[in-house]
Amino acid sequence: MNVIQVENVKKSFDNNIVLSDISFSVGKGDVVCLIGPSGSGKSTMLRCINLLEDIDEGKITVLGHDIGTIKDINSYRKDVGMVFQQFNLFSNMNVLDNCMLAQTKVLRRNRQQAEEKAREMLRKVGMLDFIHAYPSTLSGGQKQRVAIARSLCMDPQILLFDEPTSALDPEMVSEVLNVMKDLARDDMTMIVVTHEMGFAREVADKVLFMDDGVIVEEGTPSEMFNNPRNERTRQFLSRIIRQ
Amino acid sequence: MSLSKCLEILLKYSSSFLLGVRTTLIVSITGTIIGFLIGLCVGGFRAVRPDKTADNTVRFIKHISDILAKIYIEVFRGTPMMVQAVFIYYLIYTNVFKWDKMFAAIFIISINTGAYMSEIVRSGIQAVDAGQTEAARSLGLSSSQTMRFIVLPQAIRNAFPAIGNELIVNIKDSSVLMIISITELMFQSNSIAGTTYRFSETYFVTAMIYLLLTSITSLVLHLIEKRLNNTRTSFPQSDTNFYSMSIASKGEDR
Repeated sequence: MNVIQVENVKKSFDNNIVLSDISFSVGKGDVVCLIGPSGSGKSTMLRCINLLEDIDEGKITVLGHDIGTIKDINSYRKDVGMVFQQFNLFSNMNVLDNCMLAQTKVLRRNRQQAEEKAREMLRKVGMLDFIHAYPSTLSGGQKQRVAIARSLCMDPQILLFDEPTSALDPEMVSEVLNVMKDLARDDMTMIVVTHEMGFAREVADKVLFMDDGVIVEEGTPSEMFNNPRNERTRQFLSRIIRQ
Repeated sequence: MSLSKCLEILLKYSSSFLLGVRTTLIVSITGTIIGFLIGLCVGGFRAVRPDKTADNTVRFIKHISDILAKIYIEVFRGTPMMVQAVFIYYLIYTNVFKWDKMFAAIFIISINTGAYMSEIVRSGIQAVDAGQTEAARSLGLSSSQTMRFIVLPQAIRNAFPAIGNELIVNIKDSSVLMIISITELMFQSNSIAGTTYRFSETYFVTAMIYLLLTSITSLVLHLIEKRLNNTRTSFPQSDTNFYSMSIASKGEDR
């Protein structure tokens, strides 16, 4: 069963077409990696799924609901977690409160339940020792792991990652990717916009290559990386992998 | 002008000066607090945008109240407080009810400060990184919850120096409220000067008292600000390594 079904989605900002006719699907427990050059519309696609942007045409079905017709956006969003390139931890709160706020306000858990959950998730990402730290004192990799834990606290069915490692120092990338690999192993449904080809190759069930607002090629990692059919994909991959 | 005469006046009329200081402080501190609350409402309201799901009635109400807020801010920032004071005081006094002068003074300074505070709060809110709102909304928090728990606390901390500045301005500018003859420091000084005929000495003492009040206030504000910044900072978060940041942002996607 597909948990996410994207059909003929189109989106433009003013006269700038960002997505022209995108269709793909994500099965339960799948990890789908969106790769492609900057400005190809990958992040916009992700933001449309979380309703941070509206689509102009087409249909996105998530967990059986057409999200264009959803009335209660907040209750939809709690099922679809999002991890941002810039982490976006709440800078006025410590790590624990970052993980507890939405649990108590949206899921209406009491403080004790929320704290238990937060501790469990922070242990999972290896940040339990930092629960009283404020975001400004953490490194990029630590912030991103807290951000992942914060999303996990909501028991989401789907996690969306928008270039989660692009703002990190090279030596911090692996600590975040390892957490994401763990999640993939636990059968979390994930869409990951990334430039980390190693991760895509190792973890993805499906890789989508986007360019200029269309999906140029889609396939399993081995098809995509060992034997790309499209000339454009070949160019992109050879440039990225040479780096 | 002799300093010994100044000291003599200060000592002789100390109780009058003290009453003036008291009134000045009451009016300016209450005025700043109420003004801040007005600013929080008006500025906060002006900074929020209707939800995507909001219907046309909500949009219409929002549009009308935006215009009203804008008129309020323009009028009170664009006219002198002294003029506002006499106009509003007599307008109410002759047409509505014979109101207490002290109450009138606090009312006037509050709405005047509120106009400035609205802009301070609004710009403070707009300076909070948009990613903070996106993260909160993506967790399922509503727009008002996001405002209350995430955006406003950060906005107020960012705007604290400007908010504190309004208090200092009010301590000095409440002097124009002598026009409706409340017993604030300037009004008291006028009567002392009128009795002693020592104008320069009296107003020198007055100036020194104002300077003392504002200095103490700015010292206190500075301490509070330092305390706020010690525990947390609210700058947009980024990796500590700016070199890697600049590479990363070049690869940034839409």
